Amino acid sequence: MEFDDGVDEHDTPAEVDAAFRTLRRVAITHVVLFLAALMGVPALSLTLGWWSDGRLAGGMSPGFAMAAFGLYAFFLVIGLAAASLSSAVEARMLGGRHVDDADGFPPEEDRP
Amino acid sequence: MTVTSAGTLAALIALVALMTLVVRPRGSSTVDFYLAGQRVGVATNALAICGDYFSAASFLGVAAAVYVSGLDGVWYAVGFAAGFVPVLLFVAAPLRRFGEFSIPDFLGRRLASERVRLVAVGVVQIVILSYLIPQAVGSGITWQLLVGRGLPGLSAYETGVVLSTAVVAGLVAFGGMRGTTWTQAIQFLLLLGALVWLAVAVAGSGFHYSSAVAELSAEPLANPAPGDAGWYLRPEDNQIDPGAPALFGQPGAAYGPLAQFALILTLVLGTAGLPHVMNRYFTSPTGTAARMTTVWVIGLAGLFYALAVMLGTAARQQIAAAVDDHPWLEELTVDGVLLVPEHALPVLGRIYGGDSGLAVVAAGALVAVMSTIAGLLLAAAASWGHDVYERHINPRATETQAVWAGRASTAFVAVAAGALAIAMEPRELTPAVPSIVAAMVTWAFAIAGSALTPVFVLAIWWRGTTAAGATAGMTVGGLVSVSMFVLGALPVGPGLGETLMTPTLVAAPLAALVTWLVSRRTAPPDDVERQWLVLHGTAADRHAERLARLTLASLQQPTRRRSGRTARRREGRDAHG
Amino acid sequence: MRTGSLLLAATICGTWAVVYLVTQVVVSPPLGVGTTVVAGTAASVLLVLGYPSALRGPRAPLARWRRLRGRAVGSRPAGDHAEGRGVERSRRRIVAGHRMPLRSGLTADAARRTATLLRPLLGGDAVVITDRELNLAFVGPGSDHHEAGGRVRAAAVRSSIDKGRTVVTRRASAMGCDVPGCPLRSAVVVPLVVGERVVGTIGVFRTHDEPAPRDQVEDMASILSLHLELAEADRERKLAADARLDALRAQINPHFLFNILNTIASKSRTDPDEARQLLLRLSDFFRYAVRQEGQLAEFAQEYFFVRTYLSLEQARFGDRLRVRYDVDPQVLTAHVPVLTIQPLVENAVKHGLATKVQGGTVTLRARVDPLTRTTTIRVTDDGVGMAGDVLDRLGTPLVARAPDGSHGEAGARGGVGLQNISERLTTLFGERFTLDIQSTEGEGTVVEVRVPLR
Repeated sequence: MEFDDGVDEHDTPAEVDAAFRTLRRVAITHVVLFLAALMGVPALSLTLGWWSDGRLAGGMSPGFAMAAFGLYAFFLVIGLAAASLSSAVEARMLGGRHVDDADGFPPEEDRP
Repeated sequence: MTVTSAGTLAALIALVALMTLVVRPRGSSTVDFYLAGQRVGVATNALAICGDYFSAASFLGVAAAVYVSGLDGVWYAVGFAAGFVPVLLFVAAPLRRFGEFSIPDFLGRRLASERVRLVAVGVVQIVILSYLIPQAVGSGITWQLLVGRGLPGLSAYETGVVLSTAVVAGLVAFGGMRGTTWTQAIQFLLLLGALVWLAVAVAGSGFHYSSAVAELSAEPLANPAPGDAGWYLRPEDNQIDPGAPALFGQPGAAYGPLAQFALILTLVLGTAGLPHVMNRYFTSPTGTAARMTTVWVIGLAGLFYALAVMLGTAARQQIAAAVDDHPWLEELTVDGVLLVPEHALPVLGRIYGGDSGLAVVAAGALVAVMSTIAGLLLAAAASWGHDVYERHINPRATETQAVWAGRASTAFVAVAAGALAIAMEPRELTPAVPSIVAAMVTWAFAIAGSALTPVFVLAIWWRGTTAAGATAGMTVGGLVSVSMFVLGALPVGPGLGETLMTPTLVAAPLAALVTWLVSRRTAPPDDVERQWLVLHGTAADRHAERLARLTLASLQQPTRRRSGRTARRREGRDAHG
Repeated sequence: MRTGSLLLAATICGTWAVVYLVTQVVVSPPLGVGTTVVAGTAASVLLVLGYPSALRGPRAPLARWRRLRGRAVGSRPAGDHAEGRGVERSRRRIVAGHRMPLRSGLTADAARRTATLLRPLLGGDAVVITDRELNLAFVGPGSDHHEAGGRVRAAAVRSSIDKGRTVVTRRASAMGCDVPGCPLRSAVVVPLVVGERVVGTIGVFRTHDEPAPRDQVEDMASILSLHLELAEADRERKLAADARLDALRAQINPHFLFNILNTIASKSRTDPDEARQLLLRLSDFFRYAVRQEGQLAEFAQEYFFVRTYLSLEQARFGDRLRVRYDVDPQVLTAHVPVLTIQPLVENAVKHGLATKVQGGTVTLRARVDPLTRTTTIRVTDDGVGMAGDVLDRLGTPLVARAPDGSHGEAGARGGVGLQNISERLTTLFGERFTLDIQSTEGEGTVVEVRVPLR
């Protein structure tokens, strides 16, 4: 490749394994939260009368409001949180020669 | 059909075609590609995934389900929208990084087994077929309402089914409608536009969402049913609390306690196994971009379904109120309730926009159907042509032979889907399920979620997964879900039938368990550590990013057309999706 | 981080407010009290547990995203600017963070802020703060020629510096300003003294003949002197800590370098690609060790250093050295003392595994405990373990616990590195850290560092 500066990126198995474990932890905590909220909405309507009988300002019950728009907002929030956390974890746990970009030291200068 | 609606419909379709041609980036290069990857690409790709994903089931079906069963229909919207969260958490980035083109490809290479690939192809074909049928049904319904007349010898419904599948299959087979990212993105924008227009029109006419829900919940929910003296309104049974009336704003109108959870879980797990959606992930430049793409999709899906639910509610209230003023509603309704719930959105469009309104909604529905059918047929053709024909039947196939194999399989799948769709014309089934289109899509989700998703997720996150385990898991998941459908179609008693129709709750854990048990007894592939580096490492991503950065830095300004070869290779891959 | 706790508290309060609003105000009928309390408690517990990731977890990708929007350039990997910021933040936390500006030393900026602050208090029209040569700050009339950064003009100030005591003048002529039309007529100038040394002055001028109250100015000067003295002490402490850090940097084992270079040399024939990778990693290693500034760094940076080091050692030891990382996502942005983890890992390799024929595993485990707000880092090896007397010798200045009587037996185990780490931790955290070493001969060693969550 004409623009390649000849430095190919490289991960060691131990590093990838570490990132993998950490990402798995991120995914599992988020999926537990997600399922709890998702299943919580129908579960509450089965167990808590207020969830279906209460009236929010205007006439919708909390359960209906949640299913009609609350949950979608929640999905977006949890998706954004999980995506940014996962990407940040990857950026910090794999690679990392970028440290030298930060102190104004072009990486090309001192490369062999 | 009047001249106005025909004209509007034709104009809209022409507009989509024109925009696809005009907006599509020309002379795209590596630079554009990576630039797109970081600025436009994530959003565009998300729109394209939406174009593939939002089908007739989403556009007509969700509103119809809400129209018929109120809150129990909303679960469809919730499930469809939620499906991308597991995709984001477990699938998106590793799938992109592994770099294989389709689900069978992925499983085949990851587990180093041709048998796994073939079994996956089988499951994928079943999923595609069961997803195609409701799309064809949706187009039949739209045609029925929009045109109302059929070709000689065919009913209006049949004409719609035949025409839409034939046209799309022809386009796909002869390369006229390649599922490029831009086409799909623009189609989705039109779909969303139609929905937003309808929502604005409804809201502008003084519709008050919250009080509409309260008003509709004030009386028991009743839907048309065939009786001795023609159609009449029959109150729905409350599945949760027998004896009490079923209400619009409360659960129970369609599903029993267990079935509520089963339905949501089925839809949530199914998305990760949908072949045409997963294929899209390979157009993302990096794994991280694939993740951000999914976030966008979640946001767009949320918007889309929130609107669809609102419009279903509006249809329930407004159509009943409009019957007196609109004589043409007579033949479609019984006491103000539609006979075919899928008509909810088109009818709403006609009430608020006249014939042009109907055409806008119909164009949206047809676009939804066509883009999804195109995506599905391409996925089917790719897996037959690429995974089966080129690898097993005729390994030394020439380019032409491979193309013809793809075309033949496209035609075959399209004919099968069309025939099944005609056999399942909705009105006869309507009383059994909330919305036939949404319910049929559920079957595709159920098979995908039971047979593919568990194996898929295990293969990504567990090193110990073996080929034998995956084969066993897919087989068990597929068989259990299909046999539960069959059981559910038999009269097994109230409540249980719906649960059987959404088998993921049972089949997916079973498939995962079988995969695990069998994998424990067999040896995983030798190069699993090396595969792990590709699946979960970011070296390739970083390399791509560095390359893009250097490229950008070295040509700050004028020369934008270069490295065309790489771009074309990417585009070619893109076109497959 | 105090602000972090405040943020958490505020968020919990906000959550309860939302819970109250949603269940009691906008809905009729309101939800029962018991259920509301349960809901609020559940939300709070989730918040506290999720706090490290949700509120202070890695946020780089978003920042990067925004930056891309704004500048529309190619992306740089997310970590770099975040890490740069981290260094800056850690430096600030050690030195600054006190209300009085001069607490950070006699600088022009601090002097200007001090002068502005003091002018109304001292009842003067103009306030000057100087060092021994220059006006550091001049606030008030006359600043056109008594400009900040210029040489000291007023004779009163000069004589105060020379004599080292207070100078009061009541006449413009005695002010000694040679510029005609200078509005200043009377002055009180008090020297600022650190130890025995005059380091500067503070002067209060008035535009009429009645000078500012002398004792008031002198009191203020002695307060300022005290602050300067403290700043000096701060600087000395920091210098001492830096010196320890430098000592550690200088301590990078030449044997390590030779071994790695030998490995690279032998690989350059058999596997040139790997040799090149190793050279790059080696340069990363030294660049980090030499260039790392400040006393605290993001864990991610230290982790980078550790894995660079370990990948080099792995190249040398081959299959004999196995590595396992177990890192919490939240810990990545926590700040830890720099060059702390790598010496521990190096000890584990050098003293625990190098002499063991069949090799072994080094495990680095990093956790954040959101409730006690501590960062825990544990380095485990299943190597040869350590002798009891060695452990005791290590342990005397440390908070070492050897379990029961199982004092093992092994060679001198990186005592200098541990000593250095322990001293630096004391400088940074006082009593608020633990450094535990447990070792069983023949079974391995566990070193655990626990520091406050930053």
